[in-house]
Amino acid sequence: MSGQPLLEVRGLDKRFAGRSGRDTALWVIKDLSFSVPDGEFLTIIGPSGSGKTTLLNMIAQIDVANGGEVRFQSKSAPINDPKSLNPGLNCQIGYVTQEDNLLPWRTTLQNVLFPLEVQGRLDAEGRARADMLMRTVGLAGFEGHYPHELSGGMRKRASLIRTLVYDPPVILMDEPFGALDAQTRAQLQEDLLRLWNLGRKTIVFVTHDITEAIALGDRTLVLSRAPAKIVGDHPITIPRPRDIRGIMTHPDFAALYQRIREQVQ
Amino acid sequence: MTAQDTALDLSEASSIKWRRYGVIIGRVLLIGLLFVLWKLGADAVGPIYVADPIKVIQRIITDTQSGLLLKHIYATLRISTIGFAIGCAFGIALPFVLRLVPRITAAVEPYIMASVGIPKYALIPLFILYFGIDDAPKLWLVGLLVFYPIFIAVFAGIRNVDRRLINMARIVGASESRIAREVIWYSLTPFFFAALKISLPRAVSAAIIGEFLVGNEGIGYFIENSRQSFDTVGAFAGILVATALVLVLNSVLDKIDHRVNAWRPKERSMEI
Ligand SMILES: Nc1ncnc2c1ncn2[C@@H]1O[C@H](COP(=O)(O)OP(=O)(O)OP(=O)(O)O)[C@@H](O)[C@H]1O
Ligand SMILES: [Mg+2]
Repeated sequence: MSGQPLLEVRGLDKRFAGRSGRDTALWVIKDLSFSVPDGEFLTIIGPSGSGKTTLLNMIAQIDVANGGEVRFQSKSAPINDPKSLNPGLNCQIGYVTQEDNLLPWRTTLQNVLFPLEVQGRLDAEGRARADMLMRTVGLAGFEGHYPHELSGGMRKRASLIRTLVYDPPVILMDEPFGALDAQTRAQLQEDLLRLWNLGRKTIVFVTHDITEAIALGDRTLVLSRAPAKIVGDHPITIPRPRDIRGIMTHPDFAALYQRIREQVQ
Repeated sequence: MTAQDTALDLSEASSIKWRRYGVIIGRVLLIGLLFVLWKLGADAVGPIYVADPIKVIQRIITDTQSGLLLKHIYATLRISTIGFAIGCAFGIALPFVLRLVPRITAAVEPYIMASVGIPKYALIPLFILYFGIDDAPKLWLVGLLVFYPIFIAVFAGIRNVDRRLINMARIVGASESRIAREVIWYSLTPFFFAALKISLPRAVSAAIIGEFLVGNEGIGYFIENSRQSFDTVGAFAGILVATALVLVLNSVLDKIDHRVNAWRPKERSMEI
């Protein structure tokens, strides 16, 4: 699980222009650095508006940085210029966005198959994998439904497996289980861990739920309010496989929770 | 499903069915009423100005049987559909090309938008001067009239495509042409069909106006020719046929719209 960092963020800066020209620009991220080893499940926690989505957007290369760099497999990606952005870095970085971003004119199954289709990889194996994922997240029977015919939680699940289906080596997830009830959420967390265990992808998982960050992660980073800095870096010592639903009863949990909670303001 | 559910479903279905019949009956009654009003008006004003509806119907039947009307309908249909297709093709293609060259777009956009203001019918004399008196000037007129609504709808539609969907498609590896076909095109079909519905009657009107002025065929020619020979019945027959033509084309368009945009959420209560 350790070794050469697969993904590195170095001295990243991001600001958004003020509303009118004279307004001072707002720094959302200032000099942010961290690295993610291959196969790590990293959870990032931070208050609302701290710049978590902005950070993932820059790593996924759909937004430019105003300074610093993002390195993947020790190669620097030029993300300071909108023209040289390479979203998804040739399908190596998957991104489950905060909104589901399903295509409304495609059925659930067609949405899930979309990446394979555009990558020219749609074969029987891909279909079987999509089928397995649909069943895993409880979407069996809804293959032919359009997104507007699904519940909010079902749409989130569909968007999650749309990324899992093409198996990118790094997956960014932006609060994928935010809008779900506790039962479904625990179920999906278990499913995600099970799927992750099969392939041990590198995952950067953003949440503002401390329990979730501890339950899922190998390590948890705590971001401050904007401009975002890393104010805490906690290895999660609870051994795997973990009992998600009973995680709070683990002897290490209370101390971890307490330390993280103090840093999240 | 319990027996009670089935009973409820059935009673709901039958009430929907009855409401639908009610609407159809209402429509038929309305047409009958219009017909009666027309007849009364014709009798009051005199046959020089308003033709007797019965004679108009008779004329449509005899001229259809003799093939005369079909020839004119065919001519109008030809001009309006070809012109419509040309206007559509340019109205769709230009925004997609402009999307690739944002700087040029920014430069030419105000001029394109200003040219919307040119009264297209005022250009007919020039079209006749440049393109003669065959189909060409009529096609230019129809094409231009169709081009603008389509262009504006597609142009605005492309600008309004959800950036997040495009980003998602890029991240999962979709090529730019794939994005244009899959994401952008589908996002703008609702705008596009709205524009088509505006353009279609315009295309037929433009063809008819063109026929008033040049050539010796088409419904426009038929109407104007009837007027010149004080044949009010013929003029009314032509107008009725032109209206029917637009209605038929519109219903074809509606069918296509329904199929292409089947994915759009429909408000259940909007259906009768
Ligand atoms: N396009 C933009 N233009 C201007 N400001 C922006 C833009 N996008 C984000 N911001 C600002 O950047 C800050 C961080 O936003 P971001 O969406 O990254 O927060 P977040 O940590 O993901 O919050 P949440 O947990 O609520 O999703 C916010 O203050 C927001 O107002
Ligand atoms: Mg966010």
